[in-house]
Amino acid sequence: MITVAPEVKNSTNGLKLDLENLMPEQTALEIKNLDLFYGDKQALSNINMKIPKGQVTAFIGPSGCGKSTLLRCINRMNDLVDICRIEGEIQLHGENIYDKRVDVASLRRNVGMVFQRPNPFPKSIYENVVYGLRLQGIKDKRRLDEVVEKSLRSAAIWDEVKDRLHDSAFGLSGGQQQRLVIARSIAIEPEVLLLDEPTSALDPISTLVIEELIGDLKDKFTVVIVTHNMQQAARVSDQTAFMYMGELIEYSDTNTLFTTPAKKKTEDYITGRYG
Amino acid sequence: MEHNLSKHISGKFNQDLENVRNHVLAMGGLVEQQLNSALDAVSSGDSDLAKKVEKDDYKVNAMEVSIDEECTRIIAKRQPAASDLRLVVAIAKTIADLERIGDEVRRIAQVALDSFSKEQQDLLVMIDNMGRLVSKMLHDVLDAFARMDVDAAFKVHKEDAKVNREYEALIRQIMTYMMEDPRSIPKIMALVWSVRSLERIGDRCQNISEYVIYFVKGKDIRHTSQEDIEKDILKM
Repeated sequence: MITVAPEVKNSTNGLKLDLENLMPEQTALEIKNLDLFYGDKQALSNINMKIPKGQVTAFIGPSGCGKSTLLRCINRMNDLVDICRIEGEIQLHGENIYDKRVDVASLRRNVGMVFQRPNPFPKSIYENVVYGLRLQGIKDKRRLDEVVEKSLRSAAIWDEVKDRLHDSAFGLSGGQQQRLVIARSIAIEPEVLLLDEPTSALDPISTLVIEELIGDLKDKFTVVIVTHNMQQAARVSDQTAFMYMGELIEYSDTNTLFTTPAKKKTEDYITGRYG
Repeated sequence: MEHNLSKHISGKFNQDLENVRNHVLAMGGLVEQQLNSALDAVSSGDSDLAKKVEKDDYKVNAMEVSIDEECTRIIAKRQPAASDLRLVVAIAKTIADLERIGDEVRRIAQVALDSFSKEQQDLLVMIDNMGRLVSKMLHDVLDAFARMDVDAAFKVHKEDAKVNREYEALIRQIMTYMMEDPRSIPKIMALVWSVRSLERIGDRCQNISEYVIYFVKGKDIRHTSQEDIEKDILKM
């Protein structure tokens, strides 16, 4: 549980974190002077932000503003892009994840990711969930069973699949597949969960189920979500960052950002005056 | 921050917001007209005009209901955010106050249905003076609303103190009058209620000025002292 200093208590907005002065124990990730280039083109410029622990932080902004790029930086997905060059730091536990000594595989165990389209493996539901554990060499059947139940319960899909754990994951609906993928990500107990537009391929009801799930997940994980749906950011997140043309324009608690944004660009974007 | 209502990507949304704002201004205009008619009726003892004011109050009520509906529709369909959201909230609150002003006006108009002695006429003149002050306050706050002018709204906010002073002076005068002539008390009570109504209209104008400041500055200034408003909010 994050403790909040008395001076950031605000009678009109309830409890607010002072995002600029987060204590180290409140901080899950700290992004420092981050620049990112695709070839000659600069996609992110001088991003500085602290992402609080155990909360949901949303990145919003128009297409091409760099929000997905920034999200991918957090588990070094951009390493896979040849022309991508990164300067600056992202700190997890006070250590720069771009340090040469960092093992990317172990970083990704700590920072899980869920993509826009559900991507279950062509295996059974059970095998999907235990995939990461098997990679870690865990073979104990009882332990695997436990993790499967716990992860599927956390992902709010256990009741729907408990009688067909050994059926193919492809037999599930899109919304169920996405929750299965979330279960797979949390089975290895990462600290941070990155969600890249997790509901954009889903129907409204599945979307609400996932949103509800995100609210539950933050008890155990730090969640960072990229979404095109502003109302979704408003509903699920505690903090919202608005990005535009590779810059972080405004970063504040979600209540403030959606009622009284400080910057004109943010105001224009969230009220639909952008363009 | 500049507030431009006509720059949405969605033209229909622009239209919706513009319409609802115009309807509030129309409702405000009607309430202002009702107040002036009631004051005219009282000062000239015109019972026909007073009855018309009472009868026309239904129009104010109907406008409140229909504007409320418009606001609900905008929220349901557009999920407004930031200044758009504040506009809709400010409107919903403003029209509630305007409707209550309409009710107070009806109470004031009832005074014109009584007949008063020559000495009591002096009190009516004083009520008329206070009434004109309140009427100007209503006019100014509607003007501030139309232009979303924070400075003008704050001026109205400060004006309420003047109305309160006037109210206390008038009540003292009326009490003296009642002590001198206790038989007049039943009739004079009607005057007390109308003075009270005028004072309440002043408070409601002050409320509306707070909604204007809320919309423009994004700060809820209710229950904040005027010194703090001036120091912390208007300078933002």
